[in-house]
Amino acid sequence: MQLNRTDLLEAYRRMKIIRDFEDFLHDEIAKGEIAGFTHLYAGQEAVAVGVCEHLSDDDKIVSTHRGHGHCLAKGCDVEGMMKEIWGSREGLCKGKGGSMHIADVDKGMLGANGIVGAGAPIAVGAALAAKLDGKGNVAIAFSGDGACNQGTTFEAMNMAVVTKAPAIFVFENNHYSEHTGFEYAVGTDKDIASRAEAFGMKVWRADGTDFSSVHDTMREVLEYVRAGNGPAAVEFDTERFYGHFEGDPQRYRGKGELDRIRAERDCIKKFRETVTEAKLLEGSDLDKIDAEVASQIEQAVAAARAADRPTAEDVLADVYIDY
Amino acid sequence: MTKMMYRDAVRNTIFQEMQRDPNVVVLGEDVVGGMGTAGGPEAIGGIWSTSGGFYEAFGPDRVIDTPISESAIVGAAGGLALSGKRPIAELMFADFIGVSLDQIWNQIAKFRYMFGGKTKCPAIIRLIYGAGYNAAAQHSQSPHAILTGMPGLKVVMPSTPADVAGMMRQAIRDDDPVIFMEHKALYGVQGEVPDDPDFVVPFGHARLTRAGQDVTILATGMMVGMAEAAADTLAEDGIGADVIDLRSTSPLDEEAILDSVEVTGRLVIVDEAPPRCSLATDLAALVANKAFASLRAPIEMVTAPHTPIPFARELESAYLPNPDKIEAAVRKALAYN
Amino acid sequence: MSKIRAFTMPKWGIEMTEGTIAEWMFGEGDSFKRGDLICLIETDKITNEVEAEYDATVRKILVPGGGDAEPVGALLAVFDDGSASDEEIAQFADAFVPAQGGVAEGKQKKKEGKPKEADIVGEADKPRAITIDTNRPISPEALKLAEAEGVDISGIEGSGRGGRITYQDVQQALRGPSIASPKGTAVLPEETDVFASPLARRIAAIHGIDLGSIKGTGARGRISKKDVLAKVPQGTGSAAAAFGAPFQAVPNEAKVIRFDKIRKVVAKRLTTAKQNIPHFYLRVSVRADKMLELRKTANLVLGTKASVNDYIVMAAARALAAHPDVNVQLHGEEIHSFPHADIAVAVASPKGLVTPIVRQANRMRIDQIAHRTKELIAKAGEGKLGFEEMDGGTFTVSNLGMFGIENFDAIINPPQGAILAVGGAERRAVETDDGGIEFATVISFTLSVDHRAIDGALGAQFLATFKGLIENPEQLFA
Repeated sequence: MQLNRTDLLEAYRRMKIIRDFEDFLHDEIAKGEIAGFTHLYAGQEAVAVGVCEHLSDDDKIVSTHRGHGHCLAKGCDVEGMMKEIWGSREGLCKGKGGSMHIADVDKGMLGANGIVGAGAPIAVGAALAAKLDGKGNVAIAFSGDGACNQGTTFEAMNMAVVTKAPAIFVFENNHYSEHTGFEYAVGTDKDIASRAEAFGMKVWRADGTDFSSVHDTMREVLEYVRAGNGPAAVEFDTERFYGHFEGDPQRYRGKGELDRIRAERDCIKKFRETVTEAKLLEGSDLDKIDAEVASQIEQAVAAARAADRPTAEDVLADVYIDY
Repeated sequence: MTKMMYRDAVRNTIFQEMQRDPNVVVLGEDVVGGMGTAGGPEAIGGIWSTSGGFYEAFGPDRVIDTPISESAIVGAAGGLALSGKRPIAELMFADFIGVSLDQIWNQIAKFRYMFGGKTKCPAIIRLIYGAGYNAAAQHSQSPHAILTGMPGLKVVMPSTPADVAGMMRQAIRDDDPVIFMEHKALYGVQGEVPDDPDFVVPFGHARLTRAGQDVTILATGMMVGMAEAAADTLAEDGIGADVIDLRSTSPLDEEAILDSVEVTGRLVIVDEAPPRCSLATDLAALVANKAFASLRAPIEMVTAPHTPIPFARELESAYLPNPDKIEAAVRKALAYN
Repeated sequence: MSKIRAFTMPKWGIEMTEGTIAEWMFGEGDSFKRGDLICLIETDKITNEVEAEYDATVRKILVPGGGDAEPVGALLAVFDDGSASDEEIAQFADAFVPAQGGVAEGKQKKKEGKPKEADIVGEADKPRAITIDTNRPISPEALKLAEAEGVDISGIEGSGRGGRITYQDVQQALRGPSIASPKGTAVLPEETDVFASPLARRIAAIHGIDLGSIKGTGARGRISKKDVLAKVPQGTGSAAAAFGAPFQAVPNEAKVIRFDKIRKVVAKRLTTAKQNIPHFYLRVSVRADKMLELRKTANLVLGTKASVNDYIVMAAARALAAHPDVNVQLHGEEIHSFPHADIAVAVASPKGLVTPIVRQANRMRIDQIAHRTKELIAKAGEGKLGFEEMDGGTFTVSNLGMFGIENFDAIINPPQGAILAVGGAERRAVETDDGGIEFATVISFTLSVDHRAIDGALGAQFLATFKGLIENPEQLFA
């Protein structure tokens, strides 16, 4: 791992924010206080943080319906997001988008997306814009093992190759597209990266539960793409700790599966073990962050609860700039 | 004023705007044409001859020739627009919105609203639409109704070269996503176009092309000329028709429609598309609801039938509205007591 | 601000120059609502009711009821919203300058020296005052209507884009809200295993019938209206129970309807006509097959919807133009004969029998006649016929054919010289040219003639021409 102490602490803090954000939401949603559908990212934190730690606000990402982690890793405001998920007019999207449509274009976050596979073409457009601007920026499409089966993803990969767009297709393989197993739904012999390879891209594969593996791989990928070599793809093998959506009874899980992945494949636990064993950080450093993050999330929830509700007039606002 | 064809008004306006604003980008299938062939770039210059010379002038980063991937074309336009560019995506045939509808409907149209008004998406989707070329069921349609029904989109349907120039310039400078519908059968139509490099036609302003007292005829695109022909025939019998070219269906110039119907009391709506859940029924509902007191006869609609578009010449002619059908509808409205 | 309004002698019809207040329905200090009867005004031709076009208070009556005739435009009374001082009212009445005889001049009546807070009435024939708030979006036609009818648009919620006021909005404001008769909503049970048509469900709900007990006979076993109706219990006091019971009379009390003003006038006129005019009657039967046939074709070709009566009006008008001695009015000892036929058409309206006039019908094409009669009938139905539309006339056509009446004798509508009563079309056996028999469509006509003005032979010649036109209707298009 090529990170200094400050960077490591920051990476841990980011992952921990995502984890606590999602764990809190899991509990709150069970109480029935939050409207709509929510898809939690817990378990995959190392991917979002390991990718986004390399990016500036001028690099763009397009996310998925499971987008909280990407948003938080890309720098979206914790409280603004919490308020959005609560449907407040003070939310990041004024209560118009909710969990599935969180965006902050100024931070280079072009939106979570409720349509599986819809993000890849948008990322290609952002990459073409970056290419035109010629400043070495990139655009990243996060996709899961579900979106990798959508035609839009294929179209986007081919167009990126044809136009030499600085796009990176990050496939987070958490083994489940909604409630269907990856082994069933992906025909290319349990492998997504080979598809991207077939479109003519250079590809990488790495363990998505190992922060250093993600971080190091992305350094290589970004060097390659920023150098003007056209698009690239990465497949990260990762784990989803909660169901497809909140309320999913997860009857498709194997016996003891969740206990096993939480014990063996928890990216935060693994990070903690690695950095403390290597004496890069002290346990107390991390405990301090844990406490700070827990209180930050609690405050965000309290703020979201107390925030202004939108009014009926707000329905009509922000459809057009000028109509 | 310069006399030019409808297609040249498309090309020239985009060209001028690309010279003016480096953020304007063009993308689509064969917008360069001939890429990867022995003929080389610009062997074609767009099958509708609306992007000839672009590639040479502005290069591959601004004139992006794409594979046949309509979802990716429209999606990329969305990504470009969110990244500060002003993309003009071309769908060679409007019928291809079928394969790209998610990107139009769920993405581009909604970004601004879903993101709480904190972004803009100044993308243009050019749709080449309409019947008249015997291109049959998948290359002749006028899908303006479904697009008009999508909040967040502006839908414009210019009928003259001057309107093409003014509305294309407005579309490029507009900060909202615009569906720019070009009728393929009008591409060869000639007309005077203002030379002013800032000439724009704002959206939501219908054009009264004939003024009469007896009946209002609403039309868009190719239907405008047919409505005018019918109005001219009717004028010989002393029947005066207001012909209104709506120009844009979203936003809609409600005032122009209601004001006219309040005077004439009779309404004939001409629509190239099939009748169910259509622009025609939408306009009829508007007038029935807001000008009921002014109506002196049932609203007449001249539309295509509830069928796909047939191929054979005789069948396509029978399918389309025409001046005779419009004239008959006007006489029917006038005969009502 | 107090809105002081002048109420002036209206002008009904071109010829009206003066009128007399017969009766005020309100006294000074009384308030009235829009639609209330304010007063009765008599002219030399009719007595008319004047309805309020706005809510106001009567502040000053300058011309009492039953007095002398006042010229059109004369100030009759001053109204306001009750807030002006007596001084202001007096000042307003003193400063009032009557319009110089007409609508056009009346529009420019606002002059210097008027009370500055008062809005002065515009047109002389329609007493009203109006301030149009031009800052609100409003369609041009709507503005025109609001100005013409004196509608205060401030209370109107515009239904157009951005709250713009449409013509319909103004018209709705003019009419006021309708009296709703809510019928309530039946709560229908959730449709689970029973498959029934919406109408069937409605009927079942009204009659408390369990749909589950019905076997559907409709498509795919659907329960239809018929299936449910079969289960609806017939009237509780069944025919069988009542059978054999002795007849019992019930009270049969008269409902008393007093003559209203219009009926008074009609009654008086008809009595005078029937008593004073020496009527005689000429009857003729006319074959109408060709005319009915031609009407179908002509309607298609002209894109019009002319009725049989329109053709009769047209034929009568053309025949009258050919016989100007029948196209007459009788005034004292003068017979006025006219070159063009102004045909009055008898129409039943909510306010009683009215006879609006199709002017110069002999010069009109059939579609023009059709259009005009439709217009007049519609106005009659709404009670909106103007005085001008009923004044004068040289001949009347009265048609009861649509009610299946064979023929009847009509009372002449003075000062006209004749009236044509139209019976229904019947299929009758008639003799053919070669002595055989065929069936033909025949209409019976009765011409009532004022013998003082028209002799029998004149009337007969007119009828012969009329009959010729109906039987050879192509001549109407010559």
